[in-house]
Amino acid sequence: MTRNQAMAAILCCGLSAATAFAGAPDFATEVIPVLTKAGCNSGACHGAAIGRGGFRLSLLGYDPDADYEAMLDEFEGRRVNLVRPERSLLLLKPSRRLPHDGGLKLKTTSEGYRLVRDWIEAGAPRGGGIHLQRLEIVPTSITLPSVNESVAIKVTAHFNDGRSRDVTDSSIFSPLDKGSLSCDDSGRVRPLRPGQHAVMVRFLGEVGCVRIRVPLHEQKPPTSPPRSNFIDDYINRTMADLRLPHSPRAGDHELIRRLHLDLIGTLPTADEVDAFVNSQDTDKFSRLVDRLLKRPEYVDFWSYKWGDLLQIESKRLQPEGAASFHRWIREQVAANTPYDQIAKELILSVGDGYKHGPANFHRVPSDARAEAEYVSRVFLGVRLQCANCHNHPFDRWTQNDYHGLSAIFARLSRGRFVSNKPAGEVIHPKTSKPARRKIPGGRFLEEKEPGRQRFTDWLTSPHNPHFARAAANRIWRELMGRGLVEPVDDLRATNPPTHPELLDALARDFIEHRFDVRRLIKTIVTSEAYRRSSRSVEGNEGDGLFYSKALVKPLPPVVLVDAVAYVTGVAEPLGNVAPGTRAIALGDARVSSEPLDLLGRCDRTSSCESSAPAGLPLTLHAIHGDWLNKKIASPQGRLHQMIAAGRSDGEIVSTFYRLALSRPPSERESAWWREKLKTGNHQERVQTLEDFVWALLNSAEFCSNH
Amino acid sequence: MRRCDGIHRREFLRVGSLSALGLSLTDALRLQADAGNKKPTNCILIWLDGGPSHLDTFDLKPDAPAEVRGPFRPIATNVPGIRICEHFQSLARHMDKVCLLRSLTSELGEHNFGRHYLLTGYKPSPALEYPSIGSVVAHLRGVNSSLPPYIAVPNVSRQGGAGYLPASAQPFAVLGDPSKPDFRVKDLRPANGITSSRLHRRRDFLAGLDALSRYIEENDFRRQRDVQFEQAYRLILSPAARLAFDLNREKPEVRAKYGRQKLGQSCLLARRLIEAGCPFVTVTDAGWDTHQQIVRNLKEGFVGGYNGKIPQLDRALSALLEDLASRGLLEQTLVVVMGEFGRTPKLNTSDGRDHWPRAFSVLLAGGGTQGGQVIGSSDARGESPHDKPITPTDLARTIFTLLGIDPDRELQTSDGRPVRVSAGGRVIKECF
Repeated sequence: MTRNQAMAAILCCGLSAATAFAGAPDFATEVIPVLTKAGCNSGACHGAAIGRGGFRLSLLGYDPDADYEAMLDEFEGRRVNLVRPERSLLLLKPSRRLPHDGGLKLKTTSEGYRLVRDWIEAGAPRGGGIHLQRLEIVPTSITLPSVNESVAIKVTAHFNDGRSRDVTDSSIFSPLDKGSLSCDDSGRVRPLRPGQHAVMVRFLGEVGCVRIRVPLHEQKPPTSPPRSNFIDDYINRTMADLRLPHSPRAGDHELIRRLHLDLIGTLPTADEVDAFVNSQDTDKFSRLVDRLLKRPEYVDFWSYKWGDLLQIESKRLQPEGAASFHRWIREQVAANTPYDQIAKELILSVGDGYKHGPANFHRVPSDARAEAEYVSRVFLGVRLQCANCHNHPFDRWTQNDYHGLSAIFARLSRGRFVSNKPAGEVIHPKTSKPARRKIPGGRFLEEKEPGRQRFTDWLTSPHNPHFARAAANRIWRELMGRGLVEPVDDLRATNPPTHPELLDALARDFIEHRFDVRRLIKTIVTSEAYRRSSRSVEGNEGDGLFYSKALVKPLPPVVLVDAVAYVTGVAEPLGNVAPGTRAIALGDARVSSEPLDLLGRCDRTSSCESSAPAGLPLTLHAIHGDWLNKKIASPQGRLHQMIAAGRSDGEIVSTFYRLALSRPPSERESAWWREKLKTGNHQERVQTLEDFVWALLNSAEFCSNH
Repeated sequence: MRRCDGIHRREFLRVGSLSALGLSLTDALRLQADAGNKKPTNCILIWLDGGPSHLDTFDLKPDAPAEVRGPFRPIATNVPGIRICEHFQSLARHMDKVCLLRSLTSELGEHNFGRHYLLTGYKPSPALEYPSIGSVVAHLRGVNSSLPPYIAVPNVSRQGGAGYLPASAQPFAVLGDPSKPDFRVKDLRPANGITSSRLHRRRDFLAGLDALSRYIEENDFRRQRDVQFEQAYRLILSPAARLAFDLNREKPEVRAKYGRQKLGQSCLLARRLIEAGCPFVTVTDAGWDTHQQIVRNLKEGFVGGYNGKIPQLDRALSALLEDLASRGLLEQTLVVVMGEFGRTPKLNTSDGRDHWPRAFSVLLAGGGTQGGQVIGSSDARGESPHDKPITPTDLARTIFTLLGIDPDRELQTSDGRPVRVSAGGRVIKECF
């Protein structure tokens, strides 16, 4: 009533619509959330880049000024009719009293409709000055006893003027996987199946996630899992919540093979296996980790991983640039240069790319925008490209962040000689003016400030949670077979980790120990979670997320190619590089190799977080191609040498098992092969043995790290 | 009536080929299949990767301002009222076979998202990777010839893959360039000294090795590999399958008609594979992402030439339609021509057009569609659908229906979740 009276007063006095009005709903923090909740400004409707039906709103309401203008100034004031509020198109269309392609979005009896009407009646003030500071979601994590239970989520908005408001009704709830959770508009969430699920909560520009766990089994597992370091605390707690039983520790034969393949990309020799298995030292696993971290193959293998991440290849960088980049990376891996130091040097370097390795970092992306995306992907694990055209709809990155970071990289020339340019800018698509340089999620830079220096300071600061988390997540994935966040280049508020607290703890640990990569690797592999068997026990057969058993990892293409060469005793020819060079030591993804291509190596022309092997062509090649057949049949190869030296079938079988699988054959296996290898003449025997080696090289046990 | 005509023509041709040319392999296969009651519809999907410009191909706007109209003029076709780009001279004579959709609309203007939406019928989701239409067909039709049920010529983007379906639904990429004289599918023929008895022995040894190992249990990794080996053996051990890949079995005139480029020869290979019993073939043609120089890229190919994307597609597609029709295969072969989105109505400063998902065109032919018609239209500047908006979900639902697959049928993810072949959308009834 009071509002209506005041409304009349405004009209009489002819006050402008923008006059602030005590008690009127606030445009930015109350009206827009109604439209967002109703779906008006979604990408499929008026939030699309060119709007819908001539009416354009910013995507999910990220730009209240533009939205206000679209409602009040365009279309001759018919969208918002201050004289006769009920005749405003903003009310008539969504309530379907006028035809609306989008259908019924706001019932006239709804709270949202009333709010928009009250706002118009109050003169549709722009208001302003109030913005959301923080979103509080309760609970953020809960374990429900069964799928028959539900939970009500409460969302409280804290504004900069010190006020707080329950905005549950205006918030949007969307399950990350609709098959796992259902939720209604009032924030009540009901799990549809056991397991760990998440629901995304959005209000204005802020997003958050709520984790919901429902036990997988009725009974608690018979034993609790062992603990070796802090990693196990988090892993074990999750398994306990889910009542997920764990597999026992893997045997020594499995562990040494696994550790060799993960740390140095190389199979252990038969002698190394024997020494480890026979050692009585209780600390032998930890000592093995230390030894492997000092091996030259560690440098080869982890430099190769860096090469995939940084996209080192000779088409873009030329052979000289790729070689100098790779050489520099190898030096850093060999010296165990702290991870933040590597990032700093990469981002700050300029100079001749053919001579100064890290300068090539700026030569990989083609322009400033591409470099902003590249830097974000490599060091923040973020896909910033969504924020090119609009604020990232599922994260906190804004369009200003995107173009502001691009502008930081605009003053570089990217030829063979990377150098600073006095000028260079990036045009912000919204203003059509040069974008101001900006720290992502932070402040704008002053004209005189050194942009890359300021960005690097922010990036590698111990207070930046994104940098260490992205790195820890990638290293975790390399060793454990799955990132705590997948994909590893898509870290965002709405893609929650399987174990958020663990990722935070790993990042903290990484920062506290000055970004020591080898130390982080050792911490991860000495956890009990790493050392579990990959074989299931009753109740954890389906687990691929919670580390109740080790994940079986296919051997990476370069590792498999090297392993085949090692077992057969015949080197793999790789492009024009020196004969005998190992695939893990390659510095350039352009070195030609049919098996590496078919196995799905990253070609490094774009991000390779998910490249896949060729499938059937690879299998055909394994059956008919030269890759395996030539090596197996080579007179200089291991098999033919052993035959020539008069070795028995049993010796040959045992030797190949130990080389390829890092274990002797079992009694049953030996007996089976004795039977199969009983053949007549010499030629028949040779062929049968060749077929044995072929089968071994294609076996699931050989081709995977388990 | 139309249907009857088709059958007549097919019967006629079959007899003709038997008497005049002798019984070739493909004829034999066709006869075999014809012996069955109702032959299911197969599909050739010609994927124009990058997003073909609707305004320069099938939806020209001659009355729009120059910056929208672009460089090309429309020409009349053999169907009164249907006009397409002037550089589709041959295709213009086959529009009676074509059902042109001009009101496709999507919101996803990024290549990977767009590919996923068009190739699967689902918008991409972080929770689940959806299978492509070809993979669903492969999965449900299963294997009824020695050919893999889903073949990609020469390859297909990641979004054209099996998604949550098992590896058996992955496309088999033939790789290489079918227009090259030495083109052949690699590793189909045995290596030196590997006889078929040795192939069998190796197969037996491999199965034994895996079964005896205590160290690795049955898991997805192993299952996928087993499926690959099964498919590979089937392919290797069938001479018929190997012949289907051999383009040298075609007469030079036929090869020339399709155009001697990659796209033309890929379409010819697709026809051979469909004839030999493969239910779904994707032909991928890259280079439609024309941010620059429409005339150069779409018309010329090289300066002053006439070998751009449009003339190549013109030759290949019209040869394919003619060939399928004359062999009586068009009625049970659905041809789909599409890309991930259209292009901006306004030319950019590089004389190109950027991504535009809001309105674009898709071409269907054969497979029970009613040719000689246009369904839907875009507005005066090709910005939005003017009438009958069609979403990629509608299109997927329609394709599944034409291929005889119930779009509401449920599939299972590897962890047992039921997911429908196609969720939502409506069948474009006007197509039939």
